[in-house]
Amino acid sequence: MEDAPALKERIKNLMVENLMLQVTPAEIGDDLPLFGPGGLGLDSVDALQLVVALDKNFGLKIADPATAKVVLQSVNTIADAVQKKLAA
Amino acid sequence: MPTSSSPPSRAVASAFRSTSPNRLPGRKLSHRSCATHERIDVLVNNAGRHEDALLAHMPVKSWQNVLDTNLNATFHGCQAVLHAMIHQRSGRIVNVASLSALLAPAGQTNYAAAKAGVVALTQSLAKEVARMNITVNAVCPGFIETEALSSLGDDERKAARSRIPMRRFGKPEEVAATVRFLACAEAGYITGSVVKIDGGIL
Repeated sequence: MEDAPALKERIKNLMVENLMLQVTPAEIGDDLPLFGPGGLGLDSVDALQLVVALDKNFGLKIADPATAKVVLQSVNTIADAVQKKLAA
Repeated sequence: MPTSSSPPSRAVASAFRSTSPNRLPGRKLSHRSCATHERIDVLVNNAGRHEDALLAHMPVKSWQNVLDTNLNATFHGCQAVLHAMIHQRSGRIVNVASLSALLAPAGQTNYAAAKAGVVALTQSLAKEVARMNITVNAVCPGFIETEALSSLGDDERKAARSRIPMRRFGKPEEVAATVRFLACAEAGYITGSVVKIDGGIL
C-alpha cells in the first residue's frame, strides 16, 4: 500500500486533471473543504466527475449521495476512504 | 491534445431493443457494450411508440406505455452510458424526440408529453455534462415515411401532405443524416439543441 502523503498527492493530481481546476495540486490543502465558500468551490457536477474518477482509479465505489457527502469533504477524507478500500 | 479527438481505429455499432418497460436496458447495456467495444462514443435513443387517444378516453395503460417507451427508456439509456462517457471525457448523445413535442396535437397528450419530456431532459442533461465534453441533442422529426405512418389511409396521407410546406413526407435517411451529423466531431460545440426535421411545418 502506498503511504498517505503519496496517496494524497495522487488524489490532488487526479482532481486538478479531471476537474480542470485552475489551481496546482500543491495549492490544495489536505483539509481544505472541497465544497462551499471558503473551500475549493467545487459543485455537484465536479462531484460527479470525482466519483467516476475515484471509481476508475481506485475502484472506490460511492454508491449514494450520503456516502459522497462523507467521503468528498476534503483530500483527507477521500484518502481515508481509499486506504480503507485498498486495505479491504 | 485530448485523446478523445483521435478516432477509434475500428468503430462498432450495436442496437439494443427492449420491448418490456420493466426490462429496460439500464446498466447491463452499458457493461455489455463496454465489454465488447471498450468505449462508448455515441448513444442514440431512438425508441418510439404512440397510442393516440383523446385524454378523456385514454386507457391508463396507454399513458404508461407511451411514457415508458419514449421518456423513461431515454432516461435509462442515458444513465447507462454516462459513467463511461464521463470517464472518457467525451461522448455524443442524440435523442429522437418528435415534432409532436413542439406541436402538441390533439389526441397525443401521452406522446406529446413524453417527447416534450425528452426535449427537456436533453436540454437539462446537456448542461450537466457539457464540462465533460459530452454533447446531448434532440431531433424532432415530423411526418417521416416509416411504419408510424402506415396506419394512415390515402385520404389522411393526402391531408397530412397538404399541411407540409415541402408537400412531401420526410425520408428516414434524412433523419439519420441529421443524427449522424450531431454525432460527428464537427458538431462538437452543439449541445442542448433541438433540431426540427419536418419539411417546414413549424
